Amino acid sequence: MKEVLLTLIAISTLAADAQFAGGQAFLNQYCAKCHQVPVGGFALQQVATPESFRAAPHKWTALANRVRNGEMPPKGSAGPSLEERERFTEFVDRTVHTEVCGTGPVQASRAPIRRLNRDEYTATLRDLLDMHMDIGASLPADGAGGEGFDNAAETLFLSPLHAEKYMAAAKFAMDFAGREFKSRYKILVAKPGPGVSPRQAARRIFENFLPRAFRRPVTEADIAPYLALFDAAQKQGHPFEPAIFFSLRGALVSPLFLFRTEPQNLSPQPTPVSQYAMAARLSYFLWGTMPDELLTDLAAAGKLQDPVVLKKLIGLMLRNDRSLEFARRFTEQWLHTREIMGDKAPDAKLFAAYASDEDLRSDIRLQPVLFLRELLARNLSLLNLIDSGHTISTRHLNKLYDVKMPLNQNAATQPQWVSVPEGSHRGGLLGMGAVLTVSSYPYRTSPVLRGAWILDSLLGTPPPPPPPDVPALEVDQPGAPPKTVRARLTQHRANAVCASCHSRIDPLGFALENYDVLGRWRDEEAGVPVDNSGELSDGTRIKGPDALRKVLLDRKDLVIRNLTNRMLGYALGRGLTLEDSCAVDRIVAQVRDNGYQAQALVEAIVTSVPFRYQPGLPQAKETKKP
Amino acid sequence: MKSVSRRTLLRGAGATLGLPWLELLAAPAAAPIRLAALYMPNGVNVDHWTPKEAGRGFALTPTLEPLAPFKNQLNVFSNFWNANSKGGDGHYVKEAAILTCATIKKTPGADIANGISLDQLAAQKVQMQTPLPSLELGVTPVAIGVDAVVGYTRVYGSHIAWSNATTPLAREINPRSVYERLFGAAHGLEGHAAAMDTLLLDRVLGDAKRLRSEVGVADRLRLDEYLSVMRSLEERVQRSSAGGAKAWKPRVPIDPKGAPTDRPKDHAEHVRLMLDMMAVAFQSDTTRVSTFMFGNAVSNVSFRWLEGVSAGHHDVSHHQKDADKLRQYQLINRWHIEQYAYLLKRLSEMKEGESTVLDNSMILFASALSDGNSHNPHRLPILVSGRAGGRLETGQHFVMGDDAPLANLYVSMLDAFGAPVERFADSTGPVAGLVKA
Repeated sequence: MKEVLLTLIAISTLAADAQFAGGQAFLNQYCAKCHQVPVGGFALQQVATPESFRAAPHKWTALANRVRNGEMPPKGSAGPSLEERERFTEFVDRTVHTEVCGTGPVQASRAPIRRLNRDEYTATLRDLLDMHMDIGASLPADGAGGEGFDNAAETLFLSPLHAEKYMAAAKFAMDFAGREFKSRYKILVAKPGPGVSPRQAARRIFENFLPRAFRRPVTEADIAPYLALFDAAQKQGHPFEPAIFFSLRGALVSPLFLFRTEPQNLSPQPTPVSQYAMAARLSYFLWGTMPDELLTDLAAAGKLQDPVVLKKLIGLMLRNDRSLEFARRFTEQWLHTREIMGDKAPDAKLFAAYASDEDLRSDIRLQPVLFLRELLARNLSLLNLIDSGHTISTRHLNKLYDVKMPLNQNAATQPQWVSVPEGSHRGGLLGMGAVLTVSSYPYRTSPVLRGAWILDSLLGTPPPPPPPDVPALEVDQPGAPPKTVRARLTQHRANAVCASCHSRIDPLGFALENYDVLGRWRDEEAGVPVDNSGELSDGTRIKGPDALRKVLLDRKDLVIRNLTNRMLGYALGRGLTLEDSCAVDRIVAQVRDNGYQAQALVEAIVTSVPFRYQPGLPQAKETKKP
Repeated sequence: MKSVSRRTLLRGAGATLGLPWLELLAAPAAAPIRLAALYMPNGVNVDHWTPKEAGRGFALTPTLEPLAPFKNQLNVFSNFWNANSKGGDGHYVKEAAILTCATIKKTPGADIANGISLDQLAAQKVQMQTPLPSLELGVTPVAIGVDAVVGYTRVYGSHIAWSNATTPLAREINPRSVYERLFGAAHGLEGHAAAMDTLLLDRVLGDAKRLRSEVGVADRLRLDEYLSVMRSLEERVQRSSAGGAKAWKPRVPIDPKGAPTDRPKDHAEHVRLMLDMMAVAFQSDTTRVSTFMFGNAVSNVSFRWLEGVSAGHHDVSHHQKDADKLRQYQLINRWHIEQYAYLLKRLSEMKEGESTVLDNSMILFASALSDGNSHNPHRLPILVSGRAGGRLETGQHFVMGDDAPLANLYVSMLDAFGAPVERFADSTGPVAGLVKA
């Protein structure tokens, strides 16, 4: 037995050695000309041994990225083929992953301080003041980073414009709150009277308000300055209430409100994040807003690191209406369907029905959002995203798709969870107008855009970039260019450089050609039968969307891994690190072991190391012992 | 003798009581110099852009033809390029660097890096003299997501104004809220409200300083960003309040009833309204520095509403040498030039004593690509209009040497603006013959 094991280890070591040698051969062939000595901070010597994977994983990752992106070797020197590039980068990725993850516990990564984004700011003010207004509407929209979401800490910048808008919005909100019964009730929990001085009443109000605004218990150090502000306002002649609302206006512009911060972990060991930080992490992940009373109470009772409590809580939170916010923000950014409101809007002249019908537009946009929300709330299999016996429909969508999905006629304008009729091709995300529109041009479908959308959004394997500064199709073609999209793309793929990527993009998109820009079914286009066939690079033939769904189901591990990456990135509000990829391995395994149940994914994320832990503070390096 | 407007006389009289009349007429208060940059995504159809002749005798090409009324205020520059924006990808690396001449860092966000932009260098010089340091405008919101194919956050493609290497400046896209912002800034706060706002800003700055001492090193950068924007707001609140030696007055008051719609009916109207806002800001002297983006990098906004065009902007720019797409590409370029001409017209109709606001401005029009089909970063399409208060020679087609650094133009513009720099990014010197000695 021991011998067998040793032999196995020896064999795998041999294989690893051979791959390492292959990697070195690649580097020697393509990089040695310049990087024998450090050039641009990189010398081959830094990655010359197998140990360097452990010692300098980031060096390897940076190197692989340059190669993957086609930036290295530079233009003008003999470069590797796409296949060679990919073999090399796959080897690096896999080895780095194995080295970083190893067999020990998953390492936590740093949670950066993070400004509330526009949506979070609006929702938080709504709940804090019990006021239903889009107060954040005047703020500039936020860009996105990390895994592609606008809650990523790294791209939540502050401009002078923000400062002005935050000041104005706080004034507007507090002026409004001062007149609203519900808001006043929430804020004015004490008033001056016999035995209660204005200052005492103010203190009580701040003791109630500030912990909610700052999402943690407050100390005298937090309260005293706001009392001083209250005093100053009174001194300026403001009566009690205006002085209160003025002081609270300050709280709404304070970084303690505008930023999510967590107490720093000063120990060298990874430490569970604090209870109140967990409450905020959970509520901004699943609700996109501040913690409610239940979460705050659970935090006060110290229950929010208890896996049993978390499991129950997740089900509860996902069934709460507020989870719609999560479904909306996550789905629309993951699938890019938000862009239907921008450049991707179907052309108003060609698609008048769409342009003129606001209800239809809203139904189209909400369909994938509500679909994911139902999967989560009902705890159904995530594989429904690829193909499903159910979907979301309305009277408008039934009409658009010309499919009689069984609606409750009493509420047929409301989106409903319905079964998909046999042969209607409406199962899963790929049967939804939002997805099919956003992966089209505004005036025609594009197999390239749709193929690239599938590779990026579903499989998490975006096509490699076109070579820098090289025109995609600037080769002079004799004669007139071919007329049909398919003919043009066929010609395109005849060029070896183009074919290397387009042979993996185009066939996926062609399988969806039966759907027009809005996602309506068509058997022919301009009198010509739709050709929905294609062949993947591995020889698999696909014909039509149902066959494509089967192909994607065969690749479900990729789909689930990609979804996990995106959702973990969203949950953490930052780009994922190498260490996080180890957590992703475990989350994916947990989801698979739970039959791909939707709540299992959320649970596995919430109970993962990166969600629950702060890394230890790196200690000053010990001086070397002699 | 040239006539002097009543307004000039009145203002002059107040400010220079006791001066002999002749001296007053000879030296009216110098109008401030304004600097703006208009950015067009996706490059140009080069065949219809570049004038054939160099120097003063050049003829406008079909694309530039709408600029005919302002030809004597116009400079066309050929052969500039932005060396630091080569490589990378087709769009982001070029478009984010159009005013910075830096090489952006390829990142989904964590270590975003560019350089300070031309407009912000200018703004730093004069920001204490106007209610707003600068005005960033656009018509489309920031592009969302990370471009997974090329590995850049789209934040890059959505910002041309950078206050430093790591901070892009957010843009306003709603014309009405820009107007309200301009009006509010120009109007200032009355003394009591300013005092209260100052109290409040002091308070939150206090919170920020305390928080800063409690967080790790990396997070301090974010709080520094917060401290910086809040401090600058506090400063402006104090400066704008009535009274005080530094009190600022609008050169032309902003009409309280002049707010435009917040729902422009289409792209064309939206663009014009934003350019109107820039003109109002410059005329009133609410700010002297502004940038405007016609769209984000890779913008594929549909131009099918434009006669003769049947596709989106980015789509058409990849014309693949197809004659019909090239024709459409040129129509889209020309439409952008018409909007540029519209802004010049507005500014030229705004009198400032003997001159106009246009005379006292430098309005850059730039794209970060020449031929969009090949993402070509050589021979960039670059225009500058306005005489910068007489400091710029105009009416010429400057044909630079091959691949002259675009940064050289920025060195000259900063000089003419009154914010001279020794070097800007990879500049090698000013553009010969552009700035008057």
